[in-house]
Amino acid sequence: MAGKAIIHISRMLGNQGSDFPGRIALKIDPQLLPKLAGQIKMHTIIVTGTNGKTTTSKMMAAILAAAGYSLVHNSAGANMVTGITTAFINAAGITGECGRDCALLETDEANVPLLLKAIAPDYMVITNFFRDQLDRYGELDSIVRLIGDSVQNRDVRLLLNGDDPLQAYRFACDAKSYYGFAATPYDTLTSSDSREGRFCVLCGAELDYRYFHYAHLGNYECSGCGNRNPQIDYLGTDLRMETGIEFELEGQALRSTYQGFYNAYNMLAAAALSLELGVAPAVTAQAIAEYKPRAGRMEKFSIGGREVTLILVKNPTGLDQSLGSLRYDPRPKAVFFALNDNAADGRDVSWVWDADFETLCAPEAQVEHFFAAGTRGADIALRACYAGFERQRIELHDRLEAGISASLDHGGGDGCVYVLSTYTALFKCRRILSRYARKRTVSRLPEGGEGQ
Amino acid sequence: MSAIRLLHLYPELMNLYGDRGNLICLQKRLQWAGYSCDIVPLRLHEPIDAVKSDFIFMGGGSDREQALLYNELRRQADYLWEQIEAGLPSMWICGGYQLLGQYYETADGTQLAGLGLFDFHTQAGLGRMIGNVILETEMTGDTTELIGFENHGGRTYFNDSSLRHLGRVVHGFGNNGEDGGEGLHYKNLIATYLHGPLLPKNVELTDYVLACILRRRGVEELPPQDLELERAAHRQARQRIMGGQRG
Repeated sequence: MAGKAIIHISRMLGNQGSDFPGRIALKIDPQLLPKLAGQIKMHTIIVTGTNGKTTTSKMMAAILAAAGYSLVHNSAGANMVTGITTAFINAAGITGECGRDCALLETDEANVPLLLKAIAPDYMVITNFFRDQLDRYGELDSIVRLIGDSVQNRDVRLLLNGDDPLQAYRFACDAKSYYGFAATPYDTLTSSDSREGRFCVLCGAELDYRYFHYAHLGNYECSGCGNRNPQIDYLGTDLRMETGIEFELEGQALRSTYQGFYNAYNMLAAAALSLELGVAPAVTAQAIAEYKPRAGRMEKFSIGGREVTLILVKNPTGLDQSLGSLRYDPRPKAVFFALNDNAADGRDVSWVWDADFETLCAPEAQVEHFFAAGTRGADIALRACYAGFERQRIELHDRLEAGISASLDHGGGDGCVYVLSTYTALFKCRRILSRYARKRTVSRLPEGGEGQ
Repeated sequence: MSAIRLLHLYPELMNLYGDRGNLICLQKRLQWAGYSCDIVPLRLHEPIDAVKSDFIFMGGGSDREQALLYNELRRQADYLWEQIEAGLPSMWICGGYQLLGQYYETADGTQLAGLGLFDFHTQAGLGRMIGNVILETEMTGDTTELIGFENHGGRTYFNDSSLRHLGRVVHGFGNNGEDGGEGLHYKNLIATYLHGPLLPKNVELTDYVLACILRRRGVEELPPQDLELERAAHRQARQRIMGGQRG
């Protein structure tokens, strides 16, 4: 069969990147993806939405692996159709056969209709819908509509976020379940970041919220047509986030060292899908507890007895979430922020003004000092200043290492450090932190080191 | 003195690319100088004249949101013009700027009527004009440089040649990428495509707006403030733009 040869050729040619083999293969044989996807023995699962796709699908992969399933799973970032094809090519053996139990496909939301033309998923999990800062694909509404059209009359079961007013009642499909959280101690009565969900998607009237979990996710009712949260099938209760995340789902306690409400949703989505698939709750709980964050997604370092958390930030929503989780952490802390404006970060740094930086100044956040560096470090220092952070407690550094080093030297013995970084500074920050974790014990500025 | 009121027009619809940072900047600068200052959001269907304000601000929005507001604001055009003529300081960014003209012509040729306060028009063009911008302006007295970021598809053309630009383009596109002008300056009104937000790291411009606001309250001088961080941000952005960007 031709499939085998194509896989072989595209693998040989495609060492450069994760999209490349798929791109070549689809050119030679557009039917390759349906052929390979058709060989999945049990479940094909799509994970999509604006934020949290990667963490949610990685947690699910860990759970499914722990439950003994073999998997096809695309790597983070390769979530367009070509990247997904590459994942199948990599999974296919020398025979060109891809006989795995499950396919777990993190899919860019704008690519869902295209992917559904090629494959027939059994489940589709949607994390949330947020209007992207730059609104990459135009109107969010049209994406939701296209996803809705593509699942109509299809034999796919939807697992939806019942706290997201942009999802409920948008899909004319009977087979669907909702997950969501009961009221928590972290809910607020107002949300500065609720623009996406302020108006009812059905009638356009303003939504009344009983409470917000975060951003526009929460308990709502439309003042015009009465549209409100659907009945939640998988309800997370007793959420606690002082140290990591803890909550209960159907009597099973779930724990993670992750932080932040958005990660609680990622855990809940992963655990709800496991229940749908019939994975034993104890297996799910253990896989989630053992799942370790990836680079820059709440990665922890221990440096000279100080806990350092590295977080990748790339848009206002993500930054709000990171600042939110920092507020739940009651320890006194220093914050270092590396703001770059290279192409991969986005040339426009104005997004930092859309984030709710005022959180940094909340007394319970216990942020004692703010350090900034990066190609536009002065912009982030200025943002902190205009959020109400005192000028004397803001330090601007020319180099990443000098800024990180100063943040580590700051604060008392029980203090911790949060390192926030945009994409192109992330791996440099990570290298510096890894090196310090191996050998930095004294509170002195090391000589030399990396620039930015 | 009663609290200074900064009126933010339709923040839930028109607030892109950090535009609200301009209001935060004015509020903080006033508070540091010892004045109390409120940012008052104006919501859809609330009349502008219901709020006695010291400053009016409108940011940018998506095309759909902008279209919603054309009708809403046209009813209030006379009142707005009266205030602008009387010297009310105001700032209009991107979509807010386009709204002040005669019309906006979309890619398919449809014309959306603007408020018609000034004789200019905007046309959708092929390709968006995106990137860092440096302007030179004399509006604050001496020649100063303004730094910001533009991201717009519309090209704005002045029909009335007596209209004054906010500044000359040193780097970037400006109103239309052709005539070297950017923005509009009329009495105490500033309209521009520059996001960024514009005010925090353009100290001279902010001083100018603050002076306009305070003069109407009978205050002639703002006490000196420590603005080293603001100037550092201006310097860093300028070096980054003029030195060429890598990566």
